[in-house]
Amino acid sequence: MSRSLKLRHPVAGTLAVAGYVIMIVPILFVVATAFTAGSTLRFPPEGLSLRWFGEALAYSPFMEAVVSSLELAVLATALALVLGVPVTLAIHRGRLPGKGLLEGLFLSPLVVPELVVGLALYQQLMIGLHLDNFTTLLLGHTALLLPYAVRVTGASLALADPALEEAARGLGASPIRAFVTVTLPMLRPGLISAGLLGFVTSFNNVPLSLLLQTRDFRTLPVTMLDYVQQSYDPMVAAASTLVLAATVVVAVVAERTVGFAKIFGGINR
Amino acid sequence: MRARSTLLLLLPGLAFLLVGFLLPAVAMLFAPPGVTFAQVIERMGAMLTDPYDLGIIWRTVRIGLIVTALCVVLGFPIASLLARSQSRWAGVLLALAIFPLLLSNVVRTFGWLVVLGSNGVIGQLLTGLGIVEKAPQLLYTELAIVLGLVQLFLPLAVITCYSAVAQVDPGLDEAARGLGASRTRSFWTILVPLSLPGIVVAATLVFAGSVTAYTTPYLLGGSSQRMLSTQLFSYASVTVDWAAASATAIVMTVLVFLVSGISALAGRKGATS
Repeated sequence: MSRSLKLRHPVAGTLAVAGYVIMIVPILFVVATAFTAGSTLRFPPEGLSLRWFGEALAYSPFMEAVVSSLELAVLATALALVLGVPVTLAIHRGRLPGKGLLEGLFLSPLVVPELVVGLALYQQLMIGLHLDNFTTLLLGHTALLLPYAVRVTGASLALADPALEEAARGLGASPIRAFVTVTLPMLRPGLISAGLLGFVTSFNNVPLSLLLQTRDFRTLPVTMLDYVQQSYDPMVAAASTLVLAATVVVAVVAERTVGFAKIFGGINR
Repeated sequence: MRARSTLLLLLPGLAFLLVGFLLPAVAMLFAPPGVTFAQVIERMGAMLTDPYDLGIIWRTVRIGLIVTALCVVLGFPIASLLARSQSRWAGVLLALAIFPLLLSNVVRTFGWLVVLGSNGVIGQLLTGLGIVEKAPQLLYTELAIVLGLVQLFLPLAVITCYSAVAQVDPGLDEAARGLGASRTRSFWTILVPLSLPGIVVAATLVFAGSVTAYTTPYLLGGSSQRMLSTQLFSYASVTVDWAAASATAIVMTVLVFLVSGISALAGRKGATS
């Protein structure tokens, strides 16, 4: 019984509760203030209404930013997978010298501060080479997501036995056919994990995207950040609640397909 | 796989990595437009002697250390309780701890404006109960930044510690308890030392995240509580001082690399001893 007894350890229990309060309670207050009928961000809310949800959905900068962010996140994730999976194959299956170094190179966007990368892309690509901001954002987000694609699908590939693909080849399948029918299905959990992680990372990103905004193409988190700084009304609370609801949907999809804990277990190691 | 086809698989990804990350980063650090590398170094030297700039660096490091300590102190108990519990609620609680990782930082940080703002939950509570006459200034303080960053990075600490604790054989705890050790003693002599590599990884991730985070110091610290990240943004976009922006970027990157390097060395040493 000692395993469940630990839950009753008073000090550990108190710390754990404090941790959950800090993680969760502020989010609940966002939801609560979103339903206010008043026009200030105060608690307790003055009356109940859906007014601010209506305003958020009718506020065109937010809606345009939602479309831009979705577009960017989907494209960057797809590109990162299309570019990253071959890299994973080359690293794990190819005969190359310096594989560790190569993998380290592809993981390097994880260790350089994103704000620093954002500054570099802004200065060198947008100002220096006059690239438009969508192209710059797409390049930057794709490079940022490559580590996820390489590492997470790599973990799946490590579990797949190369002998199976060789057997398919031996039975007469072409290299492409052998890959598509044998290896690709084994990569499925890794592809889904990397795809979900990549999408969420790109959609929520602030530091990398921050300097790469223009009036024509702005991402949602940066638009919300600017709005909060200018005015202090509950519309952002309503927009935040809508983002929260969408995130819950993504979480449920993640749980149903590969399992929540698995997706996030892979990226830190 | 032949060498040529391996190379073909690598090249497109490599090209994106170079154009979308490596080349711009190197060019920005060493040769920003119209500025020589010597000027960047000179600006960095000025930064490391100027009391205002040093104050920002020190605030960034101090907040990073406090947030790291708090995340380990709060995150490890959560991880060990969840990893050792057989209750069916443990899965739900684990999901609840991981879920915030999926949620936008802006949304999570915005919550603290509601809690700490002048009309916020804590202010209303304190004045409503007659404890204080005027709500204390909680927003735009270092405390607000620390709270915001702990909220942001605690899930990362929990999940990293969780996988470390889960790898420790529960039989060891039971053996220690069977031999008469108290629960506290088995926690400190078995669980903590055996999960130490995971704790070090968690601490490194949290520190690196805290000293480079932008949203939290921007929303909760304002202009009075500048950190390296908010200062970097202001150099790059308000004053357009490329030398200062590059110098700040170098300081920030070196800080992260230094801590990651030390932790990797500590991890290697721990593995061989």
